[in-house]
Amino acid sequence: MRLGQKILIAAVSIYLVLFFGPLAGFDLFRIIGEIARNPSTLLQQLLIGLANGSLVAIIALGYTLVYGIIELVNFAHGDLYMLGVFMALTVIGATGATEESSTVEKVVAILLAFVSSVLFCGALNAAIERFAYRRLRNAPRLAPLISAIGMSFLLQNIGLVWGGLRAFFPIMGVNAASPKSFPDLLGRIDLFSDVLGINAPVNFNTKSLLVIVVAGALMIGLRLFVQYTKLGKAMRATAENRDAAKIMGIDIDRVISFTFLLGGALAGAAGLLVGLYNNTAVFTMGFTAGLRAFTSAVLGGIGNITGAMLGGFLIGILAAFSDQYFSSRWTNAWVFAILVLVMVFRPTGLLGENVSQKA
Amino acid sequence: MQMKTLRPAINIGLMGGGVALLFGGWSIAVMSAVVGAMVGRAYGQRSANRTPDAIARETLTPGLVAGVITVLGGVLYHFVIRPLTGQSVNYLLFFKFFRASIPINGIAVFIISAIVGIALAAGTAQYMGRLQGQPERQRRRGLLVFLIVSLLVFPIFEQITNMQWMAAVITVLIYILLALGLNVVVGYAGLLDLGYAAFFAIGAYTTALLNSPQIDIQWNFWLVIWVAAAVAAMAGLVLGAPTLPLRGDYLAIVTLGFGEIVPVVFKNLTAVTLREPFSRICFIGCDPLIESVKACIYACTGQLDLTAGDRGVNPVGRPLIPFIDNPNDPQSLIFGANYLPWYFLVLALVVLSIFIIRRLRDSRIGRAWMAIREDELAASQMGIDPVKTKLLAFSIGATFSGFAGAFYGSYIAAIFPTVFDFSVSVIILCMVILGGLGNMTGVIIGAILIMGTDRLFLPQIADLLKRFMNATVLPNVANPALKDFLSTSIDPIQWRLGIFGLVLVIMMLVRPEGLVPSAERKAELHAGDELAAAD
Repeated sequence: MRLGQKILIAAVSIYLVLFFGPLAGFDLFRIIGEIARNPSTLLQQLLIGLANGSLVAIIALGYTLVYGIIELVNFAHGDLYMLGVFMALTVIGATGATEESSTVEKVVAILLAFVSSVLFCGALNAAIERFAYRRLRNAPRLAPLISAIGMSFLLQNIGLVWGGLRAFFPIMGVNAASPKSFPDLLGRIDLFSDVLGINAPVNFNTKSLLVIVVAGALMIGLRLFVQYTKLGKAMRATAENRDAAKIMGIDIDRVISFTFLLGGALAGAAGLLVGLYNNTAVFTMGFTAGLRAFTSAVLGGIGNITGAMLGGFLIGILAAFSDQYFSSRWTNAWVFAILVLVMVFRPTGLLGENVSQKA
Repeated sequence: MQMKTLRPAINIGLMGGGVALLFGGWSIAVMSAVVGAMVGRAYGQRSANRTPDAIARETLTPGLVAGVITVLGGVLYHFVIRPLTGQSVNYLLFFKFFRASIPINGIAVFIISAIVGIALAAGTAQYMGRLQGQPERQRRRGLLVFLIVSLLVFPIFEQITNMQWMAAVITVLIYILLALGLNVVVGYAGLLDLGYAAFFAIGAYTTALLNSPQIDIQWNFWLVIWVAAAVAAMAGLVLGAPTLPLRGDYLAIVTLGFGEIVPVVFKNLTAVTLREPFSRICFIGCDPLIESVKACIYACTGQLDLTAGDRGVNPVGRPLIPFIDNPNDPQSLIFGANYLPWYFLVLALVVLSIFIIRRLRDSRIGRAWMAIREDELAASQMGIDPVKTKLLAFSIGATFSGFAGAFYGSYIAAIFPTVFDFSVSVIILCMVILGGLGNMTGVIIGAILIMGTDRLFLPQIADLLKRFMNATVLPNVANPALKDFLSTSIDPIQWRLGIFGLVLVIMMLVRPEGLVPSAERKAELHAGDELAAAD
């Protein structure tokens, strides 16, 4: 194509987006006006986006790990994370910790919830791999995908029933399907006004900071693990070429199990963090969060750990911007539009290497 | 006859008995006819005899066995389940006949139903068995006659005996339509579409907008249904086009993305304004106080509420067919809430779709779909245009969900965005996979099993279980926590999506080709037999 043609096509598409965008909340002129009027909101949304994005990123790591090693879109991952939230909620409910509890009680409750939800999700994910995916490893590629969708529905249903167990866990509230309130154990101390004593136009509290720090630490830890440990090397080898890895004496079943365990553990950690951050839990939260996380993984380049993190932050920021400037009703549509656009025009994502598609 | 040869008949009978166990009453007769036909077909096909009369003699005993087992299920319902669930054994059922209700004793119904049932089981078993001994052409005609008679007789019988199955049956038929459409995309062309409910939504919303007070357009249903199908077909082209370079799971994810976007769009188009971005000249949904409305086309006095969001488009107009219930005319209600016209309308749509899809499948296009499914590269080398073929698959598959959406819209008379979420796409996919990818009979059976479970059996099981809990278990439980748990958490309906998910997983693990595999897949699995038979 000649340059002139390209410019023409670009101009026409931009005009069409400007024309029809307002239907879906994207009114560029209004948005520019709003930003000009109140620029600090932009910074505020950036911070919110970073915190939300880091949560998305932790879930995205699970997708990317599994896809990297067996090229399976593990649909059930989002719902696994939802069960992680429920596990954390159940454990915190059992310890009896509330907002009014002492710091020691809170810390103990959070640690217990962390350990149990990480172990639970890790073990569950490995069990799912054993039950639903392992036998399909050499089947046509769509078979494990469909199996994963089935697992996703099953897990979501388990969440629904779990949420109805008010007889055993009073914290679940009266109604099985309605959102449950997750105790706000972290509290909200604003970094700028309360800690530093600066009168800043934006808020940034300890909760958000904690989430970002934990997410960053998890990513760096994972990156180092995959790069430098023996098991990490085995994972990379299995991802590169399963048969060759097998010939080299790698127990690929164990490596794949471990990958699922790791991904599940991350989902459990994300579950606790999201519960503490958003203070709400509902059995349908896994599906949307899972799709957002998957979008991040694809955007960053699926199979790439740094990419998943980058994609998570970008999607988090996009969602925060959309909530503020487009309309929160359209946020999901925009995220899915990004998913479709990336899949169609740049399936390798931002940082991904060239992965060939197999039917 | 030995036990071993009777085993298939016993299995089929247990199926019928299971249904009779849940519903009792007239379901015994209905299920006996069904199991009789199944037994007759199964035994007739494997019979060593080749004369119709000999086969009919041979299928009589298994048919009777299956019928008796079904009746036994009915016995259990009436004399064990009913007392356990706190319902009286001696109860009344009602015949409904031209708005008159005629009471009839439940035990009497059971006795009549059991006698009729055993006779029906024996009769249908012999009929189907006899067919198996006849030449191909006659066999097909006989099968067709059987199907037509039962599809005509059942709804009338159902209405008169007041079985309360019709709402579920109509839903099953709608989903058969959807599953047949998805089968074109997934089964024939091999394109895994996870957003099929989007086309259902597009068909339904097209109908709703063109035949409701929402934007004040009220076209005739018979026009709208074709428009809806055409719009869905176009949507199939538009949403299919970007996915063409993709394969396998990437294709699946992109269709899923579309499937998520479409309901969000319908949900949120509640305040539509359309302006030229630079000059701000307004076309749709303008505010005359603040801007130029010279070019305004529609809704010139404020924002246009196109879809009413979560409140839904309501009421959607109904088709003009004889006997349909017209809210303004009480005389139009023949059997009370009248399902019959809807039943025959959707049945006609299903039959039409089966006819069209069969013709398409056996045509050049159908073979092109399957060639693309098996090996895209090889197919394109043989002169098949993959772009055209895939787009046709998307668009033709979408057409049938357009029909389904149009029917659904006027049948329910109200359209909500939440009806078309991802779970609907997955349930339809579940039907196609359970029945057998690429096999129309299988897909229909899959739809009947899944939707029948969802709309008929699960609610009934839930109802019986709840009664059982209230009548038998809860009075004996002292612990309040356990009591609360038993009364709230033991609910099979709560598990419906989980059950479908589990079905998908188990089918993939155990029988990926489905309950009734397509001829091609069978041929792939039994290539040797084919060659031997060809001599």
